[in-house]
Amino acid sequence: MSKRPQESDIEFIKALAELLRANDLTEIEVNRDYGDDDGLTVRVARQGTVVAVPTHAPAPVAAAPAPAASPAPVPGPAMPVDPADDPGVVPSPMVGTVYLQPEPDAPPFVRVGDQVSEGQTILIVEAMKTMNQIAAPRAGRVKRILVADGQPVEFGAPLLILE
Amino acid sequence: MFKKVLIANRGEIALRIHRACKEMGIQTVAIHSTADSNAMHVRMADESVCIGPPPAATSYLLMPAIIAACEITGAEAIHPGYGFLSENAKFVQICEDHGLTFIGPSSEHIRLMGDKITAKETMRTLGVPCVPGSDGAVPTLEEARRIAGEIGYPVIVKATAGGGGRGMKLARSEADIDGAFQTARAEAKAAFGNDEVYLEKYLGAPRHIEVQIFGDGKGKAVHLGERDCSLQRRHQKVMEEAPSPAIDARTRVRIGRICADAVAKIGYAGAGTIEFLYEKGEFYFIEMNTRLQVEHPVTEAIYDVDLVQEQIRVAAGLPMSFSQADLEPSGHAIECRINAERLPQFQPSPGRVDTYYAPGGLGVRMDSAIYGGYVIPPYYDSLIGKLIVHARTRPLALARLRRALSELVVDGVDTTTPLFDALLDEPDIQKGDYNIHWLEKWLAEER
Repeated sequence: MSKRPQESDIEFIKALAELLRANDLTEIEVNRDYGDDDGLTVRVARQGTVVAVPTHAPAPVAAAPAPAASPAPVPGPAMPVDPADDPGVVPSPMVGTVYLQPEPDAPPFVRVGDQVSEGQTILIVEAMKTMNQIAAPRAGRVKRILVADGQPVEFGAPLLILE
Repeated sequence: MFKKVLIANRGEIALRIHRACKEMGIQTVAIHSTADSNAMHVRMADESVCIGPPPAATSYLLMPAIIAACEITGAEAIHPGYGFLSENAKFVQICEDHGLTFIGPSSEHIRLMGDKITAKETMRTLGVPCVPGSDGAVPTLEEARRIAGEIGYPVIVKATAGGGGRGMKLARSEADIDGAFQTARAEAKAAFGNDEVYLEKYLGAPRHIEVQIFGDGKGKAVHLGERDCSLQRRHQKVMEEAPSPAIDARTRVRIGRICADAVAKIGYAGAGTIEFLYEKGEFYFIEMNTRLQVEHPVTEAIYDVDLVQEQIRVAAGLPMSFSQADLEPSGHAIECRINAERLPQFQPSPGRVDTYYAPGGLGVRMDSAIYGGYVIPPYYDSLIGKLIVHARTRPLALARLRRALSELVVDGVDTTTPLFDALLDEPDIQKGDYNIHWLEKWLAEER
């Protein structure tokens, strides 16, 4: 499915790491937009040793059968790396924990490629044991989902991109 | 002991709490509004969570956001600082319900002291001297006239739900009581949605003396002497000192014991302050603050204790690290509140701090969260720092304060620093001869 084979990603990260060493930098971050719903975010940092943290945006699944698991998660407790200054970004209206589906085994509220209408629930942010349904601020097509199921988000954190 | 504490505040006090935590080996979580993303407490904390847009009501006062920030970071306890949610009994209750430790007294004690009438009744029962007045709300004008006659004019009419000087009206003689009662009720209704008022004897020229207490929540409590906070403008403290120039050692022990015994009896936990008006050798209870005070560093200076670390200890269930016998004051301390305000009108002066240089040297403490390049946001209060000096005697402390003020540089915004330079030239300030009206009068004359 992927337009880019894994190997090229590895090459790319290696090149970044080399750049880091060569120029005596401590951190490089790259956001690449390959297509509608495909992109790559890489942050390469070193503190004595070089650490590479690649982050794939969700793979394009529009035509694929619904995956049972959530898309490739963004790493750990770190807040999403500055994804989209995309004008279509939908920010989180509150701090809390994101859920992409109404209950653990249910299908997700939205998938990449879905057409949503204004006011339609796109995900849930849980705060203080309260499930807050987050509504689409406008109609549009889901270009990207920037958060993983169960991920903590701050106020203003980008949730997804509507276009 | 806690592994991780969330600091539910901003500015210098958030940094103050962070420092206490780090010295105790505790991880810190800063919360902040979008306006405070670059604040020093956010930069210093081990973790930070943006919890809302700039207005305090949608960030620093938003209880679900703060609880959610604890949940996503795994913080076990919340230090509220002062202001914001520090005296909100409902918030304390919510913390308790979510298995989070609120670093402060119980919701029950906050509620008890939050209502001025029950606070006064409780304190009177506990043997704390109170201002003579109506015992409780005064429902009718007839009642107000009768009680005012009994306690003697001048009297002051105050809103039960009031604070910060609103809903307060003075009646100098019998001729004023009708107007004062009706206006106070109307103001109280408008400001607090509650028109209940009470009556008190009005003191002509008292000092504001407050006693720092600390309880372990298990029936033990100590006092850490008094602070003199008489220098006020519009009921806001401007400059504080400890010990008070008006209180001798015997008086200190007497009132201190009364306060410590009172809070011990109710099983109070953590830091608290019992505020008094003091006139002609008599103390009159005003209110109790169930939290850390802005001016706590003057007490820390003369008693050589860390009140924030002590709060954290007690909240974690440990005993206090000192007993009354350990607490002997040493020397004299003075605090100046440096506000980003333009003199002489005290208009708020937010904006970019181009240069910041903090005074230093022996006996000088600068608690501030500003830095060169920091932009003071317009959404919150104007306190940008507290300069505290400590020396062996009051004259030496005044000299040190003058020296420290001359070193302080805050370029780019206006501050209240020149006010303190001018105050130090005043013979009354040098002698310690002032009361709660002194500063307002002096400002009016200077103008």
